[in-house]
Amino acid sequence: MKTYDIFGYSFSAIKLRKLRAALTTLGVIIGIGAIVALLSITQGLQLSITNDLSRGLSSNTLIIVPGSNALGSGVGNGVSGGSGSRPRTGLNLGGSGASSGFRLYVNYTNQIDALSPDITSSLAVIQQSGYVNADGLNSSVTLYGVNFNQYSQLYPTTFVTASGTLPSNPADNEIVVGARVNDPGENGTLLFSAGDNVGIVWTNGTTLPVVNETYTAHVSGVLQKIGGFGLAGPSDTGVYMPLSQAENFFGATQCEMIIVQLKNSNNSTVTDVSKDITNYFGGQVTVISSTAVLSLLSTIFGTIQLFLGGIAAISLLVAGVGIMNIMIVSLIERTREIGILKALGMKSRTVLSIFLGESAIIGLMGAFIGILSGWILANIVARLLASGAFGGTGFKVTPLLTPEVFLGALAFGVAISIIFALYPAWRASKLKPVDALRYE
Amino acid sequence: MATLVETVDLKKTYMLGKVPVEAVRGVSMKVEAGDFVSILGPSGSGKSTMLNLIGALDKPTSGKLLIDGVDISKLNDNQLTDLRRRIGFVFQFFNLIPRLTARDNVELPMAIADVSRAQRRKRAVELLENVGLKDRVNHKPAELSGGQQQRVAIARALANDPKFLLLDEPTGNIDSKTASEIVSLLKRLNVENHVSIIMVTHDEHLAREANRTLQMFDGQFISEAVNQQ
Repeated sequence: MKTYDIFGYSFSAIKLRKLRAALTTLGVIIGIGAIVALLSITQGLQLSITNDLSRGLSSNTLIIVPGSNALGSGVGNGVSGGSGSRPRTGLNLGGSGASSGFRLYVNYTNQIDALSPDITSSLAVIQQSGYVNADGLNSSVTLYGVNFNQYSQLYPTTFVTASGTLPSNPADNEIVVGARVNDPGENGTLLFSAGDNVGIVWTNGTTLPVVNETYTAHVSGVLQKIGGFGLAGPSDTGVYMPLSQAENFFGATQCEMIIVQLKNSNNSTVTDVSKDITNYFGGQVTVISSTAVLSLLSTIFGTIQLFLGGIAAISLLVAGVGIMNIMIVSLIERTREIGILKALGMKSRTVLSIFLGESAIIGLMGAFIGILSGWILANIVARLLASGAFGGTGFKVTPLLTPEVFLGALAFGVAISIIFALYPAWRASKLKPVDALRYE
Repeated sequence: MATLVETVDLKKTYMLGKVPVEAVRGVSMKVEAGDFVSILGPSGSGKSTMLNLIGALDKPTSGKLLIDGVDISKLNDNQLTDLRRRIGFVFQFFNLIPRLTARDNVELPMAIADVSRAQRRKRAVELLENVGLKDRVNHKPAELSGGQQQRVAIARALANDPKFLLLDEPTGNIDSKTASEIVSLLKRLNVENHVSIIMVTHDEHLAREANRTLQMFDGQFISEAVNQQ
C-alpha cells in the first residue's frame, strides 16, 4: 500500500473520532507547549544576560575582585545587587570571598600596570550602596568612585551622557548618574535634572553608632539608558563620583574591583595575564574574564534548561501514555476491521504502519500546535515579566525560539507519539485474520 | 480447465481451550475454473473451517491444500496475505468499513494492492455499476440496505480480478426477496463474467442455486450433487 494511501486511511480513522483525537492531541500540545515555553524563555534570558555581559565586560578586559573563588560562589546573591552597607564584590555576579580578609586598594593599579606588557591600563572602582536625596526624597542607588576619563574609554558606548556633560576633569562635587536615578519610574517624571544639586547619603557602618555621611553634589550629566541587568559596567542605577572624592567620602583607599584593559583579546593573553595577576596577589583575588563568565553562564543555563525541559518532558510522557491507552482502545474496537483488512490482502507491516501513522499524525499536529502555543505563552510570560507582574520593576526578556528547539520539539513530539503507539500497533499487526474476523 | 482449489485428505484440528476439535477430517475435493460450487452443512459441520482454509486465512493441520496451484501449508504469513489478494471474500455480515463510502470500500483492496488512484477509482465505479449500485457510489454503508451492502461487498470482492469468489452465507443477513436478487447477481457473474464461485451455506435452497453442491457433515463430505437449474 502506498504511503499516502496509508496516511489517508489513518486520517480517516482519526476523523471518525474527532473529540477523542483532539483530547489525545491536547496531551501532546501541553507537553510540547511547556517545553517550548520554558526553553524559549530561558534561552531568551540567557541571550539578554550574555549580551548584557559582553557590553559591560568586553573580551579584552579583566576584572579583579578580592577573594579566591569569587566567581564560583553564589551567583544568585550577586544579581540582586548591593544590599547591605558593604558589598564585598565589584561585579554583581561575584560571590563573597569574605573569608580571606584580603582587600584591594586603589593604588594597586600602579603595580598591576607594571605586571605585563600586555596591559594597557587598569582602573580602580570603589562601590557602595547609598542614597540620592532630591527634594527630601531618598532613593536607593549604587555609588561608584571611578576615574571618569578611563571609565569612559573603557565603556565608550555606555558611559555616555544623554543630557548635561561628562566632565573630563571633574571637580570633587561633580557626579554623573544613571538614567533610572533621576527617572526611577522610567516614565519621564524626573526627580532632578542635569545641573541640579542633590544630596549623596552613605550609611557608614565602620563606626558605632552608625552615622549617615552626606555631601551635596552637582549633577553634571545623566547617562543614556543602558537597560539590562547591569551585571558589569555602567548601570542605570549608578551614581558616579570622581575616584578621589570617593576615597575622601568613604574614608578608605580600598576598592571593590580593579578593571584591567588588555592590548588584545587573544586567549593566550587573557590566560597569561590572569595567571600573572592571580600569582602576584598570592591567589587572594579572582580574575574574571568574559570568556570565564560566559562559560559559567552557559553551564548554569544549560543546567536550568535541562531541569526545566526535563520537567516539561514528563508531561509529554504522560501524553504518550494517553496515546498508548487510546490506541489500545482503538485496537480493540477495530479488531474486526483489522481482520477484514487482512482478509483483503493487507500485510501485517501495513497494519502496523496504519496504526503508527495515526499516532504520528496526532504527534505532528500536537507538536505544531504545541510549539505555537508554547511560543505564545512565552511571549505572554515575557510581557508579564517586563510589566513587573512577578514583583520588582520588571525586566525585559525576549523569548528566543531557536531552530534547534523548534525541530527538536517537533521530533520529540512525533517520536514520543510513535514510540508509545509501537506496542498497540504491533499487537494490531499480529492479529490472526481468522480470530479478528470472528471478533464481535 | 485450470484447477482453482484442490484438497487431498485435508485435516484441520484446533484447540478449543484444552480440547482438540477435529473440524475437518480428511476432505478431498476439486474446484475447476468457471465453476459455481456450494458447500452445504449444518452449523458445526466444519464448513466455516473449510472456508477459512480455502480463503488462506488459516493453515491445514495435515493433508494437501492447493489454491491456484500453490500449496499453502508451505507459505508464511506474508505469502498467505499475497495469496489472499487473488481471492474475493464476501462475508455474511458484509464487513464493509463503515466510515468509507461504497466506492472507497471497493477501492480498498486495490489500494492495498498498490493500484494507482485514478485506475482504481474508475474500476470501482464500473464494478458498482455492474452490481446495480450506480447511484449509491458515494453512500456510506449505514445509508445502504442490507442487500445493497452485500452488493458493495461483492463489488469489493471482484476488485482485484480474483481467481474465485469465496462467499460465507451471503444471504444469511438479508430478507428472502433481496436474497434472490443477490443469487441472480451471482449467477449472472458466473455465466456472463465467468467468475468462479465457492459458496458456504447452511441454506439448502441457496445451495441448490449452485452448479454443484458438496454436502458436509461432521468434518467430512458426505455427498456431492449436480444441481439441475
